[in-house]
Amino acid sequence: MDVGIALSERIRSSGEEVAFDLPGAAEQVLRTDKYDTIYYHLRKPDGSALAGDPGLPPVPKGLVPEDGVIAYDGVYRGQPIRAIALLVPCGGQICTVQVAETTNKRRKLARNIVLSSLVPELLITLATLALVWFGVKRGLAPLEDLSNEIRARSARDLRPIDPGHAPEEAAPLVGALNQLFGQVAEASSNQQRFLANAAHQLRTPLAGLQAHTEIALAQSETSLAQGMPEDIRAQLEQMHRATIRTARLANQLLALARSEPGGYRADAFAPINLRAVVEEVADEWVHRALAKEIDLGFELAAVQIQGDAVLLREALGNLIHNALEYSSPSGRVTVRTGMRNDHPFLEVEDDGPGIPPAEREQVLERFYRVNGTAGTGSGLGLSIVREIAAAHRAQIDIGSGEGARGCKVGLTFPHG
Amino acid sequence: MITRVRILIVEDDAALASGIARILEGEGHAVDVMAKGEQAVLGARQERFDMMILDVGLPGIDGFEVLRRLRAAGDRTPVLVLTARDALDDRIHGLDLGADDYMAKPFAMPELAARVRALVRRSQAQTGPKIVHGPLVLDTLARRAQLVGAPLDLAAREWAVLEVLLARVEKIVSKEAIIQAVANWGEELTPNAIEVYVSRLRAKLEPAGVKIRTVRGFGYMLEEYREKKAGQ
Repeated sequence: MDVGIALSERIRSSGEEVAFDLPGAAEQVLRTDKYDTIYYHLRKPDGSALAGDPGLPPVPKGLVPEDGVIAYDGVYRGQPIRAIALLVPCGGQICTVQVAETTNKRRKLARNIVLSSLVPELLITLATLALVWFGVKRGLAPLEDLSNEIRARSARDLRPIDPGHAPEEAAPLVGALNQLFGQVAEASSNQQRFLANAAHQLRTPLAGLQAHTEIALAQSETSLAQGMPEDIRAQLEQMHRATIRTARLANQLLALARSEPGGYRADAFAPINLRAVVEEVADEWVHRALAKEIDLGFELAAVQIQGDAVLLREALGNLIHNALEYSSPSGRVTVRTGMRNDHPFLEVEDDGPGIPPAEREQVLERFYRVNGTAGTGSGLGLSIVREIAAAHRAQIDIGSGEGARGCKVGLTFPHG
Repeated sequence: MITRVRILIVEDDAALASGIARILEGEGHAVDVMAKGEQAVLGARQERFDMMILDVGLPGIDGFEVLRRLRAAGDRTPVLVLTARDALDDRIHGLDLGADDYMAKPFAMPELAARVRALVRRSQAQTGPKIVHGPLVLDTLARRAQLVGAPLDLAAREWAVLEVLLARVEKIVSKEAIIQAVANWGEELTPNAIEVYVSRLRAKLEPAGVKIRTVRGFGYMLEEYREKKAGQ
C-alpha cells in the first residue's frame, strides 16, 4: 500500500502525456524486502504498460474499489502473490498502480499467528481436559469405591456402610442403603430367634423321647429274660433308631436354615483357628469312633481363617459323621487342617466305599443319597457342608482317599 | 468307687426330666427334679446336692440366671448345663458363668450318665487326697499308688502323666497339654518322650483293665473303667 502510494506520487502527467519517473536507487529500495519479492506495474488509462513488471495479473473484473484500493490474490512467476491496485488520477484520467508481493511473509506471519495462538490454545484445552478427567475421576472415586465395596459383599454381609467413606453427595444413598441393610439384618435376626426357639421346641421333646426309648431298651434286656416277646424288643430298637434319626434330621434342617444367606450375620465372622475348631469337637467324635472301633486320627496344623465357629463345627460334624457312617468297622478316618498351596484347608478322609466320580456333584444336592448305600443318612449332610463352604467362600472338593480308596472331602478357604 | 450321690435335675420338660431321673436312679444316684429356676435356687440353698443338671430354657428365670445366682452365693456344686440351642455363645456363656460341663439336646443317655460320673468323680477328687479309678488308687499326699490292692511302682514322670490323664477321664488330652503339665521349668520334653511314658504306663495298667487310648495325631484318653460283668 505504502509502496503503491509512493509509486503513484511519481506519476507525472502533462495534458495527455503521462510519464513515470523512478530513480534506480529508489526502485531498489522499494523492491527490497527480507522475505518477499515486490513487484509493481503502472498502467496508463488505456491499459498500456507505463513501467514495472507488465506480466502481473490484471485486476479481476467485478471487484469494487474500497477507498480507491482493490486487493486481490493471484499467481505470478509461479508463486502466489497478494496484490493491490490503486486507481490514481493522472492527466484527467485514471491510471492504475499495481503493487504485488509474494506471500512468504504473509504466510509466515499467518503461520506465526496460527502457531502462537493455536499451540497455547491446544495446551489449555489439553490441560482443561486433563483437569476435568482428573476432577471427574477424583470426584467419582468414592462412588466407585462404594460400588466396589457393595459388589464385593456376600449376600450375608449386612454391616452398614461407613458413611465416612462415601462422598457427601452420596450420603442420602448410603443412608438409604444402610437403612435397607438394617431392615434385612433385623429380619435375619428375627429369623435367627425363630430358629433358636424352634430348635428348643423340637429338641427338648426329642431328648425326652430318646431318653425313654433308651430306658425301655435297657429294661427290655431284663424283660427279655423274663419272657418278653423278641419282636417287642425289635420294635423298641426301631423306635430308638427312628428317634435318633429324627433328632439328627431336626438338627440338620436347622443347620441348613442357619447356613443359608440370611440365616446368620456375616458380622459374626471372626478370626478362627481351624485346628481349635477340630480340637473342640474331637472328644465327642472320638467316643463315637471308638464305639464303632474306627481309628479316628488327626493331622492338625494351626491355621487362621475368618469364619463362624458354629457353622464350621456343623460342617466338620457332618463330614466326620459321614466318614464314620460309611467306614467299615476297624476302618480309618483322618481329619486334617493346615495350609496347602497358600490356602487354609480342612479335610476329612475315610477308607470306606467312597463316592463314584459320576455322583460327586450330585451328593452336594439336598436329599441326594449315593446309590446302594446302607447308611441311615437324610441326604442333607453334604448340602449343609456346601452351604457352609459358600458362606466362607470356600471351595469344596470331593475325591478319593489314599490309594484311590475311600472318600476325601475338603474345604479350601480363601487366603487367611 | 463312686458313692451314692444326690443329684438335682432342673428341667421343665416333664418327659425329659423323668427320663434323666430314671437313668440316674438306675445308676444308683438319689435324684430330685424341679421345673422352675426360682425353685432350684431355693432348693440348692436349703439342701446340699453333689451335682446339678440344669436346663437353660426354663420358664421364669432361665438356667444361666440360676447358675449366676448360685455362683454369686458361693455355691460350688458341679453343674452340667443342658441347652436346646447349640450356639457356641451359649456354651461359652455357660462356662463363663461357672458351669462345669455342657450338653446340647438331644443327647444319648449313656453319654449323659458318663458325664455325670465324670463330674461327680471330679468333685470328689477335689475333696480328698485319693484318686480312685476302678482298681487303681493314687494317694496324692503319700504319693503311693495301688493297683488291685497291690502296691504299684511308678516313676515320677509316669506318675505325673497318669495324674494328668486321671484328671480328665474320657477326655482327649493332647500331647502338648501333657508336656506342659509334666515338664519342669526350662526343660524340653519331646512328644516321643511322652509316648515312652504312656507305653510304660500301659504295660503296668492294662493287665488290670485300665486302658489308655491313643488318639492318632492328637493325644491320649484314659477310658472310663468298666467292671467286667459277672460270669466273664
